[in-house]
Amino acid sequence: YCDPVLMLCVFTVMGKAEGSVAREEWHGHVTALSVAPEFRRLGLAAKLMELLEEISEKKGGFFVDLFVRVSNQVAVNMYKQLGYSVYRTVLEYYSASSGEPDEDAYDMRKALSRDTEKKSIIPLPHPVRPEDIE
Amino acid sequence: ADYLDNGNNKMAIQQADKLLKKHKDLHCAKVLKAIGLQRTGKQDEAYALAQEVAALEPTDDNSLQALTILYREMHRPELVTKLYEAAVKKVPNSEEYHSHLFMAYARVGEYKKMQQAGMALYKIVPKNPYYFWSVMSLIMQSISAQDENLSKTMFLPLAERMVEKMVKEDKIEAEAEVELYYMILERLEKYKEALDVVRGKLGEKLTSELQSRENKCMAMYKKLRRWPECNALSRRLLLKNSDDWQFYITYFDSVFQLIDEAWTPPPEEEHSLEGEVHYSIEEAVKFIEERITEESKSSRPLRGPYLAKLELIRRLRYRGCNDEYKLGDPEDLMFQYFKKFGDKPCCFTDLKVFVDLLPSNQYTKFIRQLLEVIPLSAAAENEIALPADIKALQQHLCVVQLSRLLGIYHAMDKKQKLTVVRELMLRYRHGLEFGKSCLKTELQFSDYYCLLAVHLLLDLWLEGEETAVWQCLTLLEEGLSHSPSNAQFKLLLIRIYCRLGAFEPVAELYSSLDAKHIQHDTIGYLLTRYAGSLGHYAAASQSCNFALRFFHSNQKDTSEYIIQAYKYGAFEKIPEFIAFRNRLNSSLHFAQVRTERMLLDLLLEANISTSLEESIKSMSLSPEEDDIPWEDLRDNRDLTVLFSWDPKDRDISEEHRKLSLEEETIWLRIRSLTLRLISGLPTLSHTIQPKNSEKTAENGVSSKIDTIRSLLQHLEAAVDSGKKFLEQKIQYPVLGPPPTRMAGFFSNGSCQCQTSLFYLVSDIYELDTNGLEDSAEIQERIGNSLKSLAERLTDLFNKCKGDLIEVRDGSLKTHPNLLENLVFFVETISIALWVSSYCDSVLRPFKSNLQKKKKKKKESSVAMPPVFTHFLDYVGELQTLTSNVIDHIKGLEIILTALKLEELSLKDTLLLQEEKKFTKTVQGKVQSSYHHSVQEIGELLKKRLDTIKKLKI
Repeated sequence: YCDPVLMLCVFTVMGKAEGSVAREEWHGHVTALSVAPEFRRLGLAAKLMELLEEISEKKGGFFVDLFVRVSNQVAVNMYKQLGYSVYRTVLEYYSASSGEPDEDAYDMRKALSRDTEKKSIIPLPHPVRPEDIE
Repeated sequence: ADYLDNGNNKMAIQQADKLLKKHKDLHCAKVLKAIGLQRTGKQDEAYALAQEVAALEPTDDNSLQALTILYREMHRPELVTKLYEAAVKKVPNSEEYHSHLFMAYARVGEYKKMQQAGMALYKIVPKNPYYFWSVMSLIMQSISAQDENLSKTMFLPLAERMVEKMVKEDKIEAEAEVELYYMILERLEKYKEALDVVRGKLGEKLTSELQSRENKCMAMYKKLRRWPECNALSRRLLLKNSDDWQFYITYFDSVFQLIDEAWTPPPEEEHSLEGEVHYSIEEAVKFIEERITEESKSSRPLRGPYLAKLELIRRLRYRGCNDEYKLGDPEDLMFQYFKKFGDKPCCFTDLKVFVDLLPSNQYTKFIRQLLEVIPLSAAAENEIALPADIKALQQHLCVVQLSRLLGIYHAMDKKQKLTVVRELMLRYRHGLEFGKSCLKTELQFSDYYCLLAVHLLLDLWLEGEETAVWQCLTLLEEGLSHSPSNAQFKLLLIRIYCRLGAFEPVAELYSSLDAKHIQHDTIGYLLTRYAGSLGHYAAASQSCNFALRFFHSNQKDTSEYIIQAYKYGAFEKIPEFIAFRNRLNSSLHFAQVRTERMLLDLLLEANISTSLEESIKSMSLSPEEDDIPWEDLRDNRDLTVLFSWDPKDRDISEEHRKLSLEEETIWLRIRSLTLRLISGLPTLSHTIQPKNSEKTAENGVSSKIDTIRSLLQHLEAAVDSGKKFLEQKIQYPVLGPPPTRMAGFFSNGSCQCQTSLFYLVSDIYELDTNGLEDSAEIQERIGNSLKSLAERLTDLFNKCKGDLIEVRDGSLKTHPNLLENLVFFVETISIALWVSSYCDSVLRPFKSNLQKKKKKKKESSVAMPPVFTHFLDYVGELQTLTSNVIDHIKGLEIILTALKLEELSLKDTLLLQEEKKFTKTVQGKVQSSYHHSVQEIGELLKKRLDTIKKLKI
């Protein structure tokens, strides 16, 4: 049988090496998470997220973050259940196919133990443009 | 430079010119101008200008970077290496230039130079990564070395020593460096040493992957066949997580290995490096039972322990044990499993693995037993009992899938099958209730009911029930309308439409699948097998282009991935990237689309918009060259992309895969030889000087004909092996690999026509070199060939006659093979015409010579040699035949337009009113697609007819 689960994780560093840890931006990032239809309802997504958080803890990250379509309620709810919260909205982050408007993304975050005061997840008051992130 | 970024290349060139007027030798401006030239299609000028700058060996950043961009756009990455080689010579201490040089080598795969560049960098700046770049490059040399001995005795040991040096000096810093060390030892088969590294202090650095250390240890224990450690480690990992299937497998493997070796633990010592070892069946049984007991305390139900028990039973049975160990009856265990996990979509695939444990006479009973525990309720007594929630629906769906797997539906007669179809569709429509709030991107819960109903109808269709295929399409279109993201609906629609010869709806379905990247290789065959062969030439070109674009960009992309991997120290990925690139380069599908694309271009253009010679030149084709890696062809097709719930004996097997690859390879050989033979045609004409045959030999023309004759022999051999293959009369499962076009190619006579045409070429060549004198025998041979060719082409046309859609007793029957034959006809007549132009080019000078003679002698008695009449007759016949086919196609068009399907009253009473609506739609799609096919074929043929008129010598 084919691999039931596909997950791509990329551990990214924001900012350059000199400032990143000091500015508490070193974090784990979920690039994509998907579970094949036959293997849904088994808690695999939660398990995979748990694993990524574990690695991120080991690597000394301050938080884990991910982007999700605003319309993808199922996913947004799941991430909320797993302890993630909306940090900011990124306007027109997903470019749509012809005709339809571009879609906004939520940047959702969960603080790791290194961020003792949970500073990394304090929500931003205003949405941002995709070119302003990174 | 801004102009370049905005794509305004002309302005960029102007600006650069202005600058150059002021500063004549501003390198950077020259390069920017060159980029502008390159992007406006003036490659030669761009190249010349770039080389002018490069010759000065610039060392300024701007020029270097701009030249790098330019060379990359020119697809000349090797020039970048030259550039930086010169730069580091002038600025030997530049870390930046050295590192650019390293990456430039990486792009072109110059491993040895990479190794040196890495060391040079390390000497300038002693940073660990540079040192390990050099080490990795040694590994790459060992991977690419033809001589395995060399790689094991030289490259790898050298790499090992380099790392050891760093270890001794305690300079190992990063995880990547340990990974690299492990990689070297593993490749050297020094498993013991690798194990020590992973288990030792250095192993602590392995943190990026979960259980990275454990997994690596396990791999080494397996290599070393250290079963006690395998067992103890997997046991420990299962205690931590009893849902990790791979460790059950290792646990069982090792237990049975230890039993077979009669292993006993060493006295008064630890069992193994990894702790306690299980080495008896009793212990294994107890261990699994304990996992099940533990599971019942877990907050989330775990499938692993239960499936492990079934796996253990299977292994015990295989060893001849029955139920001595009181593990229980598999039937009952599977029943219990269903009760626990039946509402999960994976329950079917979980149990599928173990149905072999059921005795076949228990199938019906087993299914009944499962059905009884599903909470279903009927609204009235004679009605079907339906699920009240999603869980019950999932359970029921699982039973239906198992029923199909156990062959229960297959054993039914037609009437029973149709009853099941009705029931499944009712359940399908009822189940839509539960998915009302689903997004467009989500699947409906009851989709599989619809799919299973279609599978039953497909069975009926294959048993000869003509109308069933329309019902298949009808139900699938209905399903897709409710669940527009369901790829299975789309894939099955694609397969069925293609089988009916209707390609038009397929293009849209396929594009809505949004196939990406590697999928162009794995499922691209669904498109490319049919588009061209059904006369959808434009769509065929496009589908080939999708695939080719992917394959070509893969080449470049891989270099980028490799460079990224060096930068981030993801060394273990580099050989994977390379293996991936190689696998794609030797892809069967790649070779097929390459070949078919060129044949198609010739078919559509050669001697229509450009001459055959120019077309072939622009494709850089030559008859001598064969770029297909025959020995290494890889079949990357995903042949199980369509779901199937069929029992093993009906499902696609390894044997089918092998046969299909064999068939595809033979067919590819025939096609590729055909292409090369065609590409040889223009090489024969022009240079021919019959009276000076020695000179022509020097010119290489006579070797050209040798090439053609040898290709023709190869073609004959390929045709023979194709015929032998087809004698086996292999029937792939309907959802398995589609058969190639080879059977049609042989049976409709195209094959014979095409080979005869190439033999004719050989004869004409002989006449050409021999001259007209004393050529009676050759002329007669040519005359006979021409005559029989005309007959054969007429026969081929006869195979195209008939209606594409036939309405009989209110039901519709299609004849897609007529379309395929028509397409073969067009291809064959095109080859006939290319060959004719060659004949023409040979005969014309003869004729004008004769006419000159005639004028000189002022006699009317110089007889025309018979070959002229034969040829003229033949061309005349080709013309008449082509006109007839065009008329026939016009006729088909008229019939197809006149056919009013919507007025057709379908006799099938099984269809509901709403279904009838869908049926009309699908039949309309097929009709319209046929119309499209004959139109495209007709148009091409008209263009071909015009070219015949030029052949009147």
